[in-house]
Amino acid sequence: MKALVIDDSRVMRRIIGAILTDVGFEVIEAGDGQEALMRLEQHPDVRLCCIDWNMPVMNGYEFIVATRKRPEYRDITLMMITTEGEQEQIVRALAAGAHEYVIKPFTADVIVDKLGYLGLLDAEVHA
Amino acid sequence: MTATIDWAPVLAGDPLLQISQELFSTMIDLEPGLVERWVGDRPILDDPRYTWVDVAGEQLVRVVIGTGRETGEAITRALLGLPDGTPVSDEDYVDAVGEVANVVCGNVKSLVTHPGTLTIPVVAPAAPALEHGTCLEDACLSWRGAPITVALWLLP
Repeated sequence: MKALVIDDSRVMRRIIGAILTDVGFEVIEAGDGQEALMRLEQHPDVRLCCIDWNMPVMNGYEFIVATRKRPEYRDITLMMITTEGEQEQIVRALAAGAHEYVIKPFTADVIVDKLGYLGLLDAEVHA
Repeated sequence: MTATIDWAPVLAGDPLLQISQELFSTMIDLEPGLVERWVGDRPILDDPRYTWVDVAGEQLVRVVIGTGRETGEAITRALLGLPDGTPVSDEDYVDAVGEVANVVCGNVKSLVTHPGTLTIPVVAPAAPALEHGTCLEDACLSWRGAPITVALWLLP
């Protein structure tokens, strides 16, 4: 399964990417929402996007809104992973179409648990 | 509608220490207990680097983190899971300590109502000009025995 990690921090992309790789995902990366939309064109089989909120060019919220306007992306699971922890921001992201919301700082277990709830874990890899 | 932030109840919870402990225990050390308040005289940072992130809203709020360069490199290695002594590129350094400031500032932001928008982190060898600001909290912490300063400023 392919995952797209969208964060302007290369370090965060590596941390999240390593967690996803450990549970069997093939990971591709983008540094902002606009680049992520291009990556989705190149990789239409992406099943999961992990999205930071605050990024230059196109932020994570704008990316979610743009993605949800595209019917061909309706099967992609969108998980926000961000420092934006206010309740109104969480509600806003979920209303726009995010499926899950993780607040930084996080542990690997938090991400893996969320993937489990979303049915995105390969049982063999995660056993 | 926005309103001036009432900082008193926020600061009563010792937020900079608590947020830093949470950040380091979950993403840097992967175990708790390695960040505590500095005991004794406030040390001078060796080859200092300062990182800051603002919350730009009705009030301009800034979180400034100070470390010695070596401590910042150790944080970078820990975040990236690199062995001790692995050389750290400037790009990784700026990215890693910037993310630390981003997480601390983002968590401060989540403690108040209608705070504003987070800015992109800035990393520099000198602290930002703050002489017209009001320091709300200035914590000196110890991480594995190395000093880290974390300050919260209200700017005009």
